[in-house]
Amino acid sequence: MHNFGVLLRGEMQRLVRYKILQISFVVSLLWLGILFLIGSDHVADFVPLFIFIDVSMMTVLLVGANLFFEKQENTLKTLLITPSDFVALLASKFVSSLYLGLQSTVVIALFAVLMFDVSIAVLWLIVFVLLITCVHTAIGFTFVVFVKDFNGLLAFTIFYMFLFAFPSIFFMLDLLPSSAEYWLMFSPTHAGMLMINYTFGEDVAWWLLLLGALYLVVLSAVLIRFVISPKYVETAVRE
Amino acid sequence: MAKKVFEVKDLRFRYAKSNVEAVRGISFDVYEGEIFGLLGPSGAGKSTTQKIMTKLFRDYQGEILYYGKDLKNYSNAYYEDLGVGFELPVHFSKLTGYENMHFFSQLYQQRADIDDLLNQVGLLEDKDRMVGEYSKGMKMRLNFVRALLNHPKVLFLDEVTNGLDPKNARIIKDLIQAFKEAGGTVFLTTHLMNDVEELCDRVAFIRQGEIVEIATPRSLKLKYGNREVRVEYFNNGKTETDVYPLDDIGTNKDFLSLIKDKEIETIHSGETSLDEIFIKVTGEKVDA
Repeated sequence: MHNFGVLLRGEMQRLVRYKILQISFVVSLLWLGILFLIGSDHVADFVPLFIFIDVSMMTVLLVGANLFFEKQENTLKTLLITPSDFVALLASKFVSSLYLGLQSTVVIALFAVLMFDVSIAVLWLIVFVLLITCVHTAIGFTFVVFVKDFNGLLAFTIFYMFLFAFPSIFFMLDLLPSSAEYWLMFSPTHAGMLMINYTFGEDVAWWLLLLGALYLVVLSAVLIRFVISPKYVETAVRE
Repeated sequence: MAKKVFEVKDLRFRYAKSNVEAVRGISFDVYEGEIFGLLGPSGAGKSTTQKIMTKLFRDYQGEILYYGKDLKNYSNAYYEDLGVGFELPVHFSKLTGYENMHFFSQLYQQRADIDDLLNQVGLLEDKDRMVGEYSKGMKMRLNFVRALLNHPKVLFLDEVTNGLDPKNARIIKDLIQAFKEAGGTVFLTTHLMNDVEELCDRVAFIRQGEIVEIATPRSLKLKYGNREVRVEYFNNGKTETDVYPLDDIGTNKDFLSLIKDKEIETIHSGETSLDEIFIKVTGEKVDA
């Protein structure tokens, strides 16, 4: 993990300078505005959904945007010719992304607790949000190594939403039969959604939570090992 | 005899989606303290070779020894020795010039004085401006500072004076010379023959992934130059030109009588420019 500290400080500095942190914060405020309009009767249903959207879809987009900025400026390439470990390089980007996910979650959750007295299993929420953000950071990286520009990233993200996020939302709204859940567990978004719902008091079987957490860990590891690592250098060097 | 910094032996590389090798069995050595130029038209394999030698591409065939040890056995600590000046700017546009250099310098154990380097390339006064506000020439000078941040032993420079005005190009070329004089080794890829002529101790021409010529600029000029002397002289109110073979010029009676009897305007040996040699050797024009 040689140079991890320096790389992470650099990532955090750039989150501020490229206004990614600020954009993420403004999006969180928008969620708060919507929650305020929804009112206390339904807020408990929507808080988990907004947190989930923020740490999944927003993570994919922000990670992608950040990487495209770097690719445009050729800084991905120049960092590869430093003595830094590749693991430290990736880890610094993942940790900065986890920070963004956590920041949004804290803002939304704190608002829900203070304004609407929603009860949350805080520790589990933090653990699950980190897991969900991690897998979606890996998904964002995966999209970037396969697409040529930001439009490509948007197209992949929309496709991903149709394939994985919408079925989960339909299931949550009882538009899909309960047997669909076994298939939906192959979706990282559904596994993530279950976890967040659990932290807001929904009754979720422990083995489903365990299965979901394992799935997200394994999926992150597989994407990092077999997709991101081999393709990252090629992506960085491609002009 | 200077030490060999790099020994490149039968180097081959093929891009993943290509049927053709981009680099086809090239071999050359780079010696300590020399400026070695790799020249060739676009797509000839210059940048690919540089990317292999800087370990950006690792899936190659053949062998590269760095100070006698296989490059594949070096960890990322190899980069402590290297400074790489890319052809395109490589900075975070929303950080200042100084912040960029400070960030990169923190990644190395050896750290040069950033202010001193910025001063040498004329960027000290602009160090607190965002790099996004820099002109292309300023960004290229910052690229050069980036390459020197870690007191490297070896500099890899890709089209390093591209986009610079003559004054700033001069500053960079002087710094390259100073780096060499301090014992540094430079691997230069360029299509600017002026730079090659001024800087390089030896050059290799690469064409379609193969090295077709490797020598000093002087010996290339001798090899590809016309061995002749062209004399322009004034005769009967107009300028005339005669050409004589350079061999045995001291005993050529016609030549000797011409320079004795006529009013000579110019005398030139048939020296060929590196531009012409480039075209002859690679079969392509020098890019503008």
